[in-house]
Amino acid sequence: MIQIIFNGFVTGIVITLPALAITLLFGVLKFPNFAVGAMLTLAAYIVFTLNVLFELNLFISTIIAAIFFGFFLIVIDQITFAKLRVSGSNSITLMVCSLGLGFVLENIARLIYGNNAKSFAIELARPFFFLDIRMNREQMITIIVSTLAMVFMYVLLKHMSIGRAMRAVSDNTSLSLVRGIDSPLIIRWTWFISGVLLTIGGVLIGMDRAIEPPMGSSYLIAIFAAAILGGLGSPLGAFVGSLVIGIVSELSTLVIPPNYRIGIPLAVIALILIFRPQGIFGKPNIKK
Amino acid sequence: MLSFIVLMSLVICFSAILALALNFQWGLGGMINFGLAGLYALGAYACAIFILKLNMGFLSSTLLAMLIVSLVCALISIVTLRVSEEDYFAIVTLGVGEMLRLVVLNEDWLTGGALGLSGIPRPFSSIIPSDIYIYFFLAAYVFVLFFCIFLINILARSAFGRTMRAIREDDVVAATLGKNLLWARARIFAIGGLLIGLAGSMHAFYYQYIDPTQFSNIVVAYAIMAVIAGGKGSNFGVVIGSILIMLLLEGSRFLKEIIPGLGSDQLSAVRIIIIGVGLILVLIYKPNGFMKEYRLSVQ
Repeated sequence: MIQIIFNGFVTGIVITLPALAITLLFGVLKFPNFAVGAMLTLAAYIVFTLNVLFELNLFISTIIAAIFFGFFLIVIDQITFAKLRVSGSNSITLMVCSLGLGFVLENIARLIYGNNAKSFAIELARPFFFLDIRMNREQMITIIVSTLAMVFMYVLLKHMSIGRAMRAVSDNTSLSLVRGIDSPLIIRWTWFISGVLLTIGGVLIGMDRAIEPPMGSSYLIAIFAAAILGGLGSPLGAFVGSLVIGIVSELSTLVIPPNYRIGIPLAVIALILIFRPQGIFGKPNIKK
Repeated sequence: MLSFIVLMSLVICFSAILALALNFQWGLGGMINFGLAGLYALGAYACAIFILKLNMGFLSSTLLAMLIVSLVCALISIVTLRVSEEDYFAIVTLGVGEMLRLVVLNEDWLTGGALGLSGIPRPFSSIIPSDIYIYFFLAAYVFVLFFCIFLINILARSAFGRTMRAIREDDVVAATLGKNLLWARARIFAIGGLLIGLAGSMHAFYYQYIDPTQFSNIVVAYAIMAVIAGGKGSNFGVVIGSILIMLLLEGSRFLKEIIPGLGSDQLSAVRIIIIGVGLILVLIYKPNGFMKEYRLSVQ
């Protein structure tokens, strides 16, 4: 039982960073980005290229890939979403665009690397026991890296000017413009930070499972469920939501066939939308 | 060549009905449906299972499949009870679609799993001589398509059609004017579901063999592209959009001759990339499509 809860905890930790990226992007850009799954995949493949083909250390590969991917997302935004924002499109148009972008990115990965599952060049380590819980080194790395990233994001959002500006744009875009916040700059920063978070998330997922084209999109529903559960736009909520989703879906395998685990996040979304639409930590959104 | 055109036309018929369904739910009703692929699969499998496992007639199977998809769609719309933002709706429909695809893939005893179901008989194929059968089949499909357009056009011009457009433009105003949003949304989605079930059944009859790979999320991209290219809300535009998309899709099969050395996996990847890029380009450069929505004009 404790083992299952621990496994669920790790599953939850794995989706924390993507959920945080989704919630940041939603806060600043005001639409749910369906391309996030494919972005995770592509980022993992970039790290794979540096790690396996260029034989760099996984840690260094991740750093290089994260910076590259951050800039890559800024460029992608400029040639797709930025054009739609200028023409004043509604959020459905942006969502549909993100869906199309997701197809493109996932299949670029498929075109270059093929359908076969790949893995990073890390030597295998024997799982060890800690307080009667079986854990392996990848799970330890996942917990440590995600926690560090979360702490860093907390500091960034609370105490750094860029984070405060991001929260301001996310809270009230037009008011932040009036107060002289350069919102295009903030949007670029948000994409960059999301790119970094998604790269780390992609590496963690790739270590946990395998690197293959559908790896990111298979997590998409769980990531959205985590973000909605915590309240879309609330970073702390994304963290708590991820843990809850991870533990609940792992526990659910006791009663339902594991193939249908994806149904749990979906059920959570449906219940949340019916009973507490703003999520655990979100503010009720009152329409004018 | 003639048989190629006939087969293409058949595919266009049921793709156009699927696009009409999306146009009804999204173009007219303002509710995006990212779970289209799963619901389409549900329609096709329901129809095939009624015919193969329960030995029912093609007409009753099709009608039951339509009803089942419609019911599922109505259930989905209940989650919009308290949030009317499209954002959440998109996520929920995407999730339901994935879930349906998982069921299809995992319940081997019912759906044949990854192997799929084969040997679905075409309607009247035992009565009509086989050399002219395909023309009869095409005539029937074209008739069904035009009948659907006819019915939907009537519906779009009715009082209910006006309510739909009012909700799409501003749900708060529509609610203030006394329209029951949840009930109207459930009906919009359920009617769209009938069409999705019909398109799915026609898909099953056409291919006579269905498996999960035919219902990937790319189906959603095709339908969305057809709706946008044709002009949201315009039913004839959507049919033209479907024809354009199918020509583009079938045309991309010839990529193999242009770019040598592509494996079948890579070729399908390239085709999906083309679809995705096309979708983004249409959104950016031609967001209103090629045909206008029907409007009442004031003289």
